[in-house]
Amino acid sequence: MAKKTYDLLFKLLLIGDSGVGKTCILFRFSDDAFTTTFISTIGIDFKIKTIELRGKKIKLQIWDTAGQERFHTITTSYYRGAMGIMLVYDITNEKSFENIVKWLRNIDEHANEDVEKMILGNKCDMDDKRTVSMERGELIAKEHSIRFMETSAKSNINIERAFRELADAILYKTAGREPGDNVDRVMVDRKPTSSSTKSCCNH
Amino acid sequence: MAYKAKLKEFDLVLEQDIIKLEALKKISFHGIPDDQSKRALCWRLLLNYLPEEKALWNSVLTEKRNLYKQFIEEMIVMPGENEGNGDVTAGDHPLSINPESQWSTFFRDNEVLLQIDKDVRRLCPDISFFQQPTEFPCEEIVNSCDMKRLHTRVQRSVMNCANVERRGLGITKIGIPGKKMSEDYAPMEEGKEAHWEVVERILFLYAKLNPGQGYVQGMNEIIGPIYHAFASDPDIKFREFAEADSFFCFTNLMSEIRDFFIKSLDESVHGINTMMNTLLHRLKNSDLDVWLKFQQQDLKPQYYSFRWITLLLSQEFPLPDVLRIWDTLFSDENRFDFLIYVCCAMIIILRNQLLEGDFSSNIKLLQNFPPMDVQVILTKAVELSKLKLF
Repeated sequence: MAKKTYDLLFKLLLIGDSGVGKTCILFRFSDDAFTTTFISTIGIDFKIKTIELRGKKIKLQIWDTAGQERFHTITTSYYRGAMGIMLVYDITNEKSFENIVKWLRNIDEHANEDVEKMILGNKCDMDDKRTVSMERGELIAKEHSIRFMETSAKSNINIERAFRELADAILYKTAGREPGDNVDRVMVDRKPTSSSTKSCCNH
Repeated sequence: MAYKAKLKEFDLVLEQDIIKLEALKKISFHGIPDDQSKRALCWRLLLNYLPEEKALWNSVLTEKRNLYKQFIEEMIVMPGENEGNGDVTAGDHPLSINPESQWSTFFRDNEVLLQIDKDVRRLCPDISFFQQPTEFPCEEIVNSCDMKRLHTRVQRSVMNCANVERRGLGITKIGIPGKKMSEDYAPMEEGKEAHWEVVERILFLYAKLNPGQGYVQGMNEIIGPIYHAFASDPDIKFREFAEADSFFCFTNLMSEIRDFFIKSLDESVHGINTMMNTLLHRLKNSDLDVWLKFQQQDLKPQYYSFRWITLLLSQEFPLPDVLRIWDTLFSDENRFDFLIYVCCAMIIILRNQLLEGDFSSNIKLLQNFPPMDVQVILTKAVELSKLKLF
């Protein structure tokens, strides 16, 4: 059995229209590389990366989903277990931005109420083709009280930061659940609960 | 079996005036020879495009290829192009709200096209084939001054902008941004088109002709190997019509696996969920340890086999291996039951690693199947199928 090499496990999910760059964002984060030659994601894909936050080793289990309507039944089943969700649109594609509202509704319907969300306006390196201004992105995020960032998987802008901030928000919330307790204490509490349902070292 | 003997075996079956499909299936199951146009011809037969009676081939091919030409003429049109001189039909203009208007259809089609366009540009990126120009471009399209090229319909055009800076009285500095990056899939010059443009047209016509289903992501991965096999046929008489022939073979194949692509049919007898459950059931009956491990880890078949089954494994292996696997799948008497045995074999072959691994490493392993001789997998699948696990 593999030895447990992390303190906490966070499950994250990437959603958004087809072609906005979800797979590229994930690939940049997990492998620090960029390629335009990705095949389209069918169903659901998966990556792992361990980061360190506030002295804790956090294993991020990130699910990458297919954007097209057909795959929604298969992908919405992952919403429930997700602790953080990244909603991605493409700043050069108006439609993908308009659909953010639709994706938010999806989250409301299928995800845990306290899931941490973040909106990403990807492809910000392609400023000459931009059709969605940064202000509009900020506005919609503000309306829904969600974090927002413009990113570029290609130029490696804000990718690492986005994942760290989302993870940090989850960590903060996890710690905040028990008022007055510090993070360490909560973790001790969490371990038995997760291992009683299914052996946690398998994840 | 020696390669020559194998070729001979195929020649024997194929030279008959009336080809025995059963006999063809029997030998194709073990793989169709890569050269001498064998695969493309056998697939045409296995996918019920060519009839068993050879005497009918010419007339069938002529009829189908003409029909395809007609599809292009009728369905790839620019609104207004058929209007008489100056007679703008009342009510048909870009702002018409009549859903039947040519322009409304045009805009609706472009929505579908947008998705197809994204996906055909992402088809088999590890080989250069689809970016190469075809020897047989569709004349009507490529000589239309770009008017009928499908991807130009969904190209987002941007107006050039410049930064204008005023400095004091009357001095204006205009900064024009540097030159744009070159496109990865640059459109070909007038008179030429790349293979991915041909595939785009096939998928667009399929979506137009099957409006209830439309285009679903992944269909590109189904047409890809078929078109590749047909468009690299050494026989020029067949290669010339790769587009029309692969369109009909794709349509026939889709009629059998259509349910995988329709969300509302997920739970039906031939739907994807039923297939995944069958896989799980067979796994349980053939390797209880792995099945238990998956249960324990809550590792659901949706995580890996959804893509395996929907795409007939086309994203899991390099193209030559996919072609080889499809020889077998197309020869399956109970199409596509054997596919499930292949999937089951893929899992069992990895059993030692899977029994050792944790949830994450197991998902990773299954989603990125390690390179191996596909013959090993197919042999294992045959072995499993003989156990009658269901």
